Formats: sequence, C-alpha cells, structure tokens
Amino acid sequence: MSISLTINGETHATNRDPLTPLVDVLRDDLALTGAKAVCREGFCGACTVLMDGQPVVSCLLPIASAAGRDIRTVEALSDGGELSPLQKALEQHDVVQCGMCFPGMTVALTSFLASNPNPTREQVKQSLVGNICRCTGYERIIDAVLAHAQAMQGGG
Amino acid sequence: MAEAVAAVEEGATPLAGATWILRSPIRDEKLAGSYVAVSGLAELRAIETGDREIAIGAAVTHASLCAALNGSADCAALVQAAGAAANPAIRNVATIGGNLCAFSFAASDLAPALIALDAQAEIYGVSGPERKPIETFLAARAHLARGWLLTRLLVPRNGRISAHARLPLRKAGDYPVAIVSVSAKRSSDRTLRSVRIAVGSVEPVARRWPALERALEGRSLDPEEAAEAARERVGDFQGRDGVEAPGWYRMQVLPKLVRAAMCGVLAQA
Repeated sequence: MSISLTINGETHATNRDPLTPLVDVLRDDLALTGAKAVCREGFCGACTVLMDGQPVVSCLLPIASAAGRDIRTVEALSDGGELSPLQKALEQHDVVQCGMCFPGMTVALTSFLASNPNPTREQVKQSLVGNICRCTGYERIIDAVLAHAQAMQGGG
Repeated sequence: MAEAVAAVEEGATPLAGATWILRSPIRDEKLAGSYVAVSGLAELRAIETGDREIAIGAAVTHASLCAALNGSADCAALVQAAGAAANPAIRNVATIGGNLCAFSFAASDLAPALIALDAQAEIYGVSGPERKPIETFLAARAHLARGWLLTRLLVPRNGRISAHARLPLRKAGDYPVAIVSVSAKRSSDRTLRSVRIAVGSVEPVARRWPALERALEGRSLDPEEAAEAARERVGDFQGRDGVEAPGWYRMQVLPKLVRAAMCGVLAQA
C-alpha cells in the first residue's frame, strides 16, 4: 500500500509499512537528517518536526498517521538558504550546540514563538520540557529566545 | 464509526496517537496483527459542552482538551492533568482514549482526574453505546470481551471544584511517581461535601481513596488536616515497585500530594 506524505511542501510516496516511524523515512529515504532518532521513546525531542504547524516527535509518529498532513522539518525553516529570524538569533547569540538536540529545539521553539510571540522565561522553559540537551544546558538558549522575542516586538 | 467497530470485532486494535503502541517493542510487547486508525473519526474528535455534562471524544488530544476546556470550572483537575502529562510534542498527538486504553500504563494523569470528577466512559460495541463509571471501566478494560471501542468520556457538570497534584522526578516531561486528584461540591461554609479523592501511579490501576474521603467529609477545607488524615491512611495502598521509584516511596509522598491538591481546591472555593 502506497502512502503519500507531504514533507516540506513536496509530495513523496512510500511503500513502507504504515507503522514505520516518520523519522526513519525522513532520514533513510529522503536524506533529511536534521531530525535525529535518539531515544525513540518521545522523551528527548531530537526528532521533533512540525505537523500542521504543531511540534510532534517523529519517532512515535507512524507514517500512516502523517499522510495528508503538512510535515515540516528543520530543513524547511530557512527560506532559500536564508536562515529564519529565530535561527539567526540563535546563531548570533552563539548558543548553537552539538547538533544532536538543537534541530529539535529549533523546531519546537519556532512553533512556540508563532503562538507565543512575547513569552515569559517560564513559558520558554515549559516549551522545551520535551527537548533534552546533553551538552551545555538551557539557560543561554532561553536568554537568546527572550532577546529574539523582544527584538521581534520592536524592543531590541 | 461502524466500520471501525467492525474492524475491532474482527480483531484489529484501535490506533489513535500511537505514542504508546509504537513503544511496544521497548516494553517487550508484540505489535498487534492489524490496527484500525480511529483518530480521524469526527465523532471521536469532538468536545461538546451540554447543560448537564461535557462529552469529550476519545480521539481528542491532550493539547486539544486543554485548549477547549481551559477555564472550565467543571474540568479543572482534568485540564491540569492533560496539560501536565508528558511533554508538548506528545500532548499534540496523544489522545485521551489512547491514554485510558493503555492497559499497562499505571502513571496516567487522566485516570485519577476523571475518577475524581465522577466521569463515565462510553464504549461502543455490537449492541451499541454503553456507559460505565470510569473507575469500573479502568478496572475491567483489560478483560472486556473483544469488539469494543472507547468513544467518549463524559464529565458531569455538577458544580464540583477540583485540582490535580502530581510528583514527577523531574519538574516536567516525566512520568509521575504518584498522583492525587480531588474534587468536592461547593459549600457556603467551606466544608468538604461529596468529596472524591483518586490516586494514580501508586498501584497498577488508579482508584478512589474511600477511607480518606469518609474522614474528610463534612470537615473544613484545611490542607494540613487533610495531609495528616492521609498520613494515617497511606497503608490503604500497596505501592508498586518500578524503575523510577519503589512502592514505599510512592505511598510516602501521598500526604504531600493530598495537601497540594487540597490547596488547589481551596484556591477555587
């Protein structure tokens, strides 16, 4: 049975088993390696993608459930090679880390800021409870997100 | 709906958010031979607020429940439970029905919240829809004859105030080692009337705490007194041992959780 997926605006057909986790199709079939299959339990958030604009863990999302939905990966956050404003802010604040958790964090934060453009520190923390960092921690990332949000509101 | 029930009757397992089912191999559980996807059924995705009850479709996600019922006085404990479970990305796909039909999942936040709110489960089988008290459903779900589908959860609108308290080992994003949900009828003299207290994650299946409910009935709403009454009765439970906490610890933290839940109720009284 062929399943049609819409990934980053492009349609892809796959004959994989319907229960195949989306992350495996992204990485193995489509070479979209930004999402990382790390814990495969939905705890770490390294495989986070957007489904209809909402963050979901692609390690626990069967491709059958992703059919007909708009899937966006970290590779689609930039536009024509131009980083998104959030990505630029994270780079400018020098908070980009090893690359394992960071794509998931960036995807989760992109969705969070779209619906919470002027968040509190606590709200930013809550938005990242499903994204686990094994490197340097979270505080400077949260600083960068708050500075970015303030700048986007015209305050910085 | 009929097609889905027919598939279930033929042996298919309902699949909604899939966050539990896709982790079956991690739990050394085999995947089922066939699944029927139910999360697209409009009947299961609706939330209807009537005069007497709130009907929540079994395929409503945790996030959708919070968005729809945030601020609803009748569902405070349930909204707190759904909004605290797991993490945002899981809450966006994991469904209410899937959570309650994960038979071996003892740390469900929704189960004690629904018990405290005196909710009912609606299941749909060969003879049509049938309602059961949620506590009855939770205790019997693993043994029901094949061919049923959990369709809705029904929360009565009877003026209850409620609160939910949980203890994860990390501040968030973790399974709670113990959970207490409390509800009571409003009273003009701030006494507890028709109090319902439910405990989750301590034993394999969430259940009420009848002795504590009796002890607090008619007494003033005092969180410290409630905690003391709970301390005297923690032996009513047999805590389950698990990798995240031993059974004795789950029991030992119950008085603190009762206190926290009562503070939540007090704030609304």
